[in-house]
Parts: sequence; C-alpha cells; structure tokens
Amino acid sequence: MKVLVTVKEVAAVEDDFEIDGLSIDDRYLEYDLNEWDDYAVEAAVQIAEAADEDVEVVAATIGPERSEETIRMALAKGADRAVRVWDDAIADQTLLDVNAKASVFEQVVAEEEPDLVLTGVQAADDALGATGVALANRVGYQWAAVVNDLDYAAGDDVATVRRELEGGVEEITEVDLPAVLSIQTGINEPRYASLRGIRQAQQKEIAPHDLSDLGLDAETVDGALELTDMYEPESESDATIFEGGAEETATELANVLRDKGVVGE
Amino acid sequence: MHLQSDSALTDEQRAIRDAVEEFALEELRPEAQELDDAEAFPEDAWDDLAELDLTGLTVPTECGGFDADKTTYSVVNEAVAYGHLAVATALSVHCLATSCIAEFGSDEVKEEWLPEMVDGRPVGAFCLSEPGAGSNPAEMTTRAEETEDGYRITGEKQWITNGQRAGVYIVFAKTDPEDRGSITQFLVPADYDGVEVGKKEHKLGLRASDTTGMTFDGVEIPEKYRLTPEGEGLSAAFKILTGGRLGIASQAVGVAQAALDEAIAYAGEREQFGKSIGDIGSIRQKVADMATQVAASRLLCREAARQADAGEDSRVIASMAKYFASEAAVDVTNEAVQIHGGYGYMSEFDVERFYRDAKITTIYEGTSEIQKTIIARDLLD
Ligand SMILES: Cc1cc2nc3c(=O)[nH]c(=O)nc-3n(C[C@H](O)[C@H](O)[C@H](O)COP(=O)(O)OP(=O)(O)OC[C@H]3O[C@@H](n4cnc5c(N)ncnc54)[C@H](O)[C@@H]3O)c2cc1C
Repeated sequence: MKVLVTVKEVAAVEDDFEIDGLSIDDRYLEYDLNEWDDYAVEAAVQIAEAADEDVEVVAATIGPERSEETIRMALAKGADRAVRVWDDAIADQTLLDVNAKASVFEQVVAEEEPDLVLTGVQAADDALGATGVALANRVGYQWAAVVNDLDYAAGDDVATVRRELEGGVEEITEVDLPAVLSIQTGINEPRYASLRGIRQAQQKEIAPHDLSDLGLDAETVDGALELTDMYEPESESDATIFEGGAEETATELANVLRDKGVVGE
Repeated sequence: MHLQSDSALTDEQRAIRDAVEEFALEELRPEAQELDDAEAFPEDAWDDLAELDLTGLTVPTECGGFDADKTTYSVVNEAVAYGHLAVATALSVHCLATSCIAEFGSDEVKEEWLPEMVDGRPVGAFCLSEPGAGSNPAEMTTRAEETEDGYRITGEKQWITNGQRAGVYIVFAKTDPEDRGSITQFLVPADYDGVEVGKKEHKLGLRASDTTGMTFDGVEIPEKYRLTPEGEGLSAAFKILTGGRLGIASQAVGVAQAALDEAIAYAGEREQFGKSIGDIGSIRQKVADMATQVAASRLLCREAARQADAGEDSRVIASMAKYFASEAAVDVTNEAVQIHGGYGYMSEFDVERFYRDAKITTIYEGTSEIQKTIIARDLLD
C-alpha cells in the first residue's frame, strides 16, 4: 500500500524582527518542518514499520528548493521518497490559499494514487487548517479531521480514528479507505532522525515538479485570497487580578463578563 | 545559534548537527541539573543515544556501526555536550572502547562485542590512569602475567569514566613490571571473577557521570582478549587518544557555546540602571570575547578533523584544539557566570553547572600542560 504525507516547511520568527512590506526578511526566520506534519510522518512510518506487506511512504510538499533540507528530515525519519512542487506562479502568490494547495495536491494524489493521505491539522505559519479536508473533497476520498488517535494496520479497508471536536468532546469513528486524515499533535511521539536515517536520506529521491508537470496552469494557483497587509498587532496588557475568596472573586469575574458582553444579562 | 557558517559542513553533517542538537536541547539539557544533583546517570537517555546510532559512532559499518568521519565525530561531540557534558563524556569514552576493539581486536573479538556495543550495551570503559600514573601512564603498575591460555591481570586503575555502568573494560597493563616498554592492551569483561568496581567519586562537576576506581584482582582472561601485541599497548592508547582529544575539544566547544547562548539571552533580559545589561559596554566586550573564543575553538576542532579525514598526521593540531578549546571553555563559562551576576552562582541557572563542568576538559585525556608539551616537542625537538 501507499501512504502520502503532505509536509510543509514553515518559518518561525525570532523574538526581534522587522516587517518589510508583506514579508519578514530571511535573517529573522528559522525554517523547520511544520510541527503537525512531524506527527503525520511518524504516524505513516509507524504504519509502514508494523506492516507485513510493503508500505511506501511518500512525502509531498509545495515549497522552494531551500525546503529540501527540511523535507530531507522527513526522509531521515523514514519516508521513502518525496515529491516537491514549485513554480514561478506559486512564488508570485502573496498567499497560497487552500484552494490552490488542494489543486496542486489533487494532481499529486492522481499521480501517486495513495490509499491513505495524512496531513497535519494545520501549518504553524498561516494556520489555515483546511488543506486536508479540502483535498479529500477534491479527490473524493473519505476524511477525518483532527485525528488524535489512529488504529490502522496496513491493508485494512477501514481506519478507526479518534477525533478531537470543539469543547473537549472526542469522537471515535470509522473511516473507509481511501481516506485523508488530518493529524493532530500528541497522536504519537515523533522520533528524532537517527544518523543512519540521515545518511540514507541523502540518497532518497526528492522529485521536483512544476505546475505544467502536473498538468496545471498558472491560473490554478491564483487563489481568491490576497495578502494585503502585515503588521504587529497592538498588544495591551490589561490583566485584572481578583483577590479574595472564591465566592467573592467569582462574583467579580461574572460582573466583568457581563459588562464586556461575553455572557448575557 | 551556530557561529560556523553552514557551508563548512556537508548536507549530511549539517542534518546530523541539527538533529543531535535538537535532541540534546530537548532531552538532555532539561534533566541535567537534577542528575547533577543526584549524581545519577540518565540510562534512558543512553538508550535514546543508541536509537540515534550515536553509540556506534566510531564503529565500522561491517560491525553494524556508523563509521563517522572525524568532522561528523566532532559535530556530534559538540552537539551532545551542548545538552549535557556528562553524557557526552560517557559517550566519548564508550567510543574510545569501541575504537580500541575495532582497531586492534581480532575478527572474532569484534564480532563478539561490537554489534552489541553499537546497540548501546555493554557500555565500554577505558582504564589507563592509575593512582600513581596519570600524565605519565608509563609508570603504571598494573600487571598482566602470562598463564597457560591467556593472562592474569592484577592492579588498580583510578578515575574510570563509566566505571560502574560498563560491561567491558579496555585495560592497559605491563607484561613485565620492570619494563616500561611492555605495556599491552587487554579487554576485560565486567562479569569476570576478580573485577571489582570501586566507590563512585564525588566531583566538582560532571557529576552525572560515574567516575570510579577499578580493582583487577587476578582476573584470568583468555589469550584472544590481548588486543595488541605485548609492548604495543601504550602507542595504541596514544593513537586512540588522538581521536579522543578531538572529541573532548569538541565537547569543550559545546559547553562554551551553551554558556555563551545563555549569557546572550540573559544580557538581553536583565535590566539594571534603567537599561538592559546587554547595552552596557563592558558586557558587550565580554560577549564579543566569548564568541570569538568559541569560534576559534570550533575552527581548531574542525581543522583537526579535516586533517585527520585527509589522512594527514593530526596529532599536533588535535593537541592545539584540546588545549585551546578546553581553556576557552573555562574562560567562557566563567564569564557567563559573571554576566549572570549572583544568579549565575545559583544552581537554578544552567551556567552554574556549565562553569563546574567545563573545568574537567582541561584535565582529562591529557592536561593542558601535557598538550603544550606535545605541541612544543613538535616545534622545538
Ligand atoms: C572526571 C575524570 C574522569 C576521568 N576518566 C578517565 C578514564 O575514563 N580513563 C582513564 O584512564 N583516566 C581517566 N581520568 C584520569 C585523567 O586522564 C588524569 O587525571 C589525567 O591524565 C591527569 O593525570 P593526574 O590526575 O594523575 O595528574 P598528574 O599527572 O599528577 O598531574 C598533576 C599536574 O602536573 C602537571 N604535569 C604532570 N606532568 C607534567 C609534565 N611532564 N609537564 C608539565 N606539567 C605536568 C599536570 O598537567 C597537572 O597540572 C579521569 C579523570 C577525571 C578527573
């Protein structure tokens, strides 16, 4: 069987940085594998390691050449090979929206025909949190979002998943394959890359594709969303500390909540 | 923060550095103070090191090891020490032992020990120093008498890293007590009769690492456990220790970098006289000195590694690296404490431990004085 894991290199901003127009200069950024994707890779590799049959784990990313260093860490942790999609038309976007990403990955799925697609719940940088589900919708796969427990053995037709819903509610549900699962942090304990894994990863394939390789044109990635401004939000600290017994402070808190319109009269 | 330009390393070396550094920072550093306090070695972390292939770092690939080039060896030692020097030391001594077996053991002995040591256990120890023979190991009194089918080893070793944890000891002994030239290298399994582990020493730093005396009381070993021909033990020890020196030098860089990073962070946070102390001229000068010392130390290490990888004689440059980097680590950790003021003297702050730990690097595997003796000999004699 084949498991496709979508991975993304994300940038974290240093404590002190400057915004220049719509971006932040490279010198203030540190690149790393998106945290959620690390869990998705681990989930895929665990399926492969526990399997009796051959399981190929393919990592797919949309990212510039620089991102190969990060993608190689996923290969070092056990993915077999990677597909990297990049194009001038993608680089020109101020923001690659969910639709654009889903369009790209739709073609990757068409080419790879995976039985299972694992994505991170969201990316740490733009936090759209919708790519996995949007992709499932496009390719007509079953899906489950925010999966924090996965019971699946290679070759099974059904995956049993536990999903995190709003308000602390969890749901256990079965998903027929082929399926897209968006993976939540905490589902497993991602490994560190071993030295041997790192060495092997240097030889593994990261196949570059541009949009035309995937049969797409530049318009496909012209999303509806445009990045128009970037600024640091004013942060005011106006913490109120209530002192006293529970009874008293609860009343004070209730008054504040009512005043601010958080709860009704 | 990496002061060395990324382009100095191959993609593989850079990935190894990043992975091991992340591990050291997330898994080793947070528990270092507690372990130091309890004088306890983190055996779980040791298992993790094995998972990462670090316990087979210097073992040939035929025996299941990683067979790292010297630059990678340097990078790994620095990164582990960045997390916790005591763990880095335990690892590098284990690597000394595996190197001895790989370099001098017969195929049978290699097969017997190395694959398991690559997997982390048995842990290896290296027994050269004695109460009366430190800088000058030729004065050792441990004796190896020939028996019908091997040797009987009798003597005392001192300050043996991994003394308690080890399952196998590399032991240096004289086959003729009157002959300084008879030092020979042996392998002694921990479970043989007559192997006694002495009490664990209490130390200034490196407290999570077990340092013990060892008594070999008529330990009978088979012939195959004589690793070198009789009389070739000391040159074998020096050969292995040249590699070891690069390891210790790189570890010194790791602790110094750790102290520098803490000092920079603290200088940015701490305010006195209405401004951050990082804006005070003398603090800025200190930080510049520290960073320069760390960078110079690291470059000496990498150059020693490069020469060794190129097949050149790297003994002198390895001594320079060990001498310079260890003294720099003592200076840099000292200044890191100074920048922290009174807080730096408190054990809640990591720099307090870095300062205590760094000192050992100027002492073991050849003191600074001995390194200078080696350098001067090459220049003057
Ligand atoms: C924590 C720790 C762990 C250790 N681990 C190990 C281990 O795993 N295996 C092992 O075999 N040993 C180990 N050692 C021993 C260590 O290698 C020795 O302590 C070191 O070689 C110095 O020997 P010494 O302590 O006997 O000092 P000495 O040789 O007595 O030196 C005392 C002082 O005299 C100076 N001196 C000596 N000779 C000269 C000279 N010719 N010229 C100039 N100055 C000189 C020294 O530099 C030093 O300043 C360890 C030591 C410590 C503290």
